[in-house]
Amino acid sequence: MNDRKDRVSGRVASPADDADRAVLLRVADGQLDALQDLYDTYRTMAYSIALRITADASLAEDVVQDAFLGAWRNAARYVEGKGSVKTWLLSIVHHRAVDAVRRRRPTVELPEREDIPPASLTLPDIWLEVAGNLDREEIAVALGSLSDVQREAIELAYFGGLTQQEIAARTGTPLGTVKSRIRLGLLSMRRALVGEDGSDDPATGVGSP
Amino acid sequence: MTHEQAIDLAPAFVLGALEAAEMAAVREHLATCPESHLEFETLGSVVPYLVESPDIELVEPSAALRDRIMAAAAADLAGRSGEPAADTESAPTGPTIAFPSATEREARARTRTGRIGWAMRIAAVVAIVALGGWNLVLQNDLTTARRFDQAVSRVITAAAESGSQTVVLTPTEDNQASGLAAIRPDGSVVLAMRNLPQTTGTEVYETWVIVGDGAPVPVGDFMVDANGFAAVTTRPTTAPPGAIIAVSREPKPGSSAPIGPIVSTGVGLAPSS
Repeated sequence: MNDRKDRVSGRVASPADDADRAVLLRVADGQLDALQDLYDTYRTMAYSIALRITADASLAEDVVQDAFLGAWRNAARYVEGKGSVKTWLLSIVHHRAVDAVRRRRPTVELPEREDIPPASLTLPDIWLEVAGNLDREEIAVALGSLSDVQREAIELAYFGGLTQQEIAARTGTPLGTVKSRIRLGLLSMRRALVGEDGSDDPATGVGSP
Repeated sequence: MTHEQAIDLAPAFVLGALEAAEMAAVREHLATCPESHLEFETLGSVVPYLVESPDIELVEPSAALRDRIMAAAAADLAGRSGEPAADTESAPTGPTIAFPSATEREARARTRTGRIGWAMRIAAVVAIVALGGWNLVLQNDLTTARRFDQAVSRVITAAAESGSQTVVLTPTEDNQASGLAAIRPDGSVVLAMRNLPQTTGTEVYETWVIVGDGAPVPVGDFMVDANGFAAVTTRPTTAPPGAIIAVSREPKPGSSAPIGPIVSTGVGLAPSS
């Protein structure tokens, strides 16, 4: 249990992490072959995520190109952190893909495009730094802990690029219910990943000082 | 925004599911509010794992994507001023990271061949473009060969002008069209292309300049006969280093956005000092 908890809240580096960081260090040094190594390691996951979000093969490739070039240009900044390279990279892909999807929707107000991916990520670096590597089965278990409506709300937000207001409209659900579903779903995932019953979950103290 | 309002928005914030103004307001709150924001950390800590959802069907990108990314990175590298790009002995950045020295040694040993590999590939594309003329000679098409030679010469002359950028155009997937171009200081593009399928009827090839996230700007169209090559100088436009030059095959002239397939692309490369 403590091992799993560490990987969510205290992060333990795996051999794969170390290899990734060695590659990223070379990317930060402007070494093209290192970028190619990074690409070859993560191209399938990166493209699959982009394709899932954009549902457009051509746009997904643009997103992946954009993300890897972002990583190429900003590796030096990231390499000073301690987080998982994989999570950092895939989060850039996710962010760029959502950005691309929203740009195709004329009704959505968009912020100014930022050149530096880490700054424009919705995730603060600290979350990436604590993110270790969990295998797909563990993540599947965590996702399996969600109710259908929780999962729908989280997926529409994360993979659909919808805002909570848009999710409320799309599902015909009050906004407060959407917020609650997302919150409870994320807490449920955390409990599954950390392997605790939530009794020491700091989030349960929300609202109190 | 009050602390309670920020906490209320935390679940959607960590998923990036707020309107832009709300995202900015929460960021501002997090940057300035002295109170604890454990809710954000607790909810946010699981978000990175969502990208690894097993529900995501794994799909391979096209083989051409790697080349596109590497060509763009190479162009980016060449455009970095004062960067010791060829210095493999420079100290690694991020000295706070420790990793096995053996790994580093191996990595650096591999780098030399890797970098040379890419330089060679880019040089090879240039050579292929130039040698296109030679192939035409072999095909006994001396008039076309001479015209192609003149087209490449024009590009090289334009590329030699102070402030010009060079562009190597490589074929997109399922195409063979490649070329060499120079973006002159006024933003006009001098282009020599080969292996373009012949245009028929109202079809044209359109040249596009794409700057950053901007929409493609059409700068000049041309027709191609059976010899498959083109020598074009486009209208001037704004094309800073890093601009993408793309050539698409359009059903008719005058498109304001590419309708037909893009057959070849390249990135503007500023002369490295």
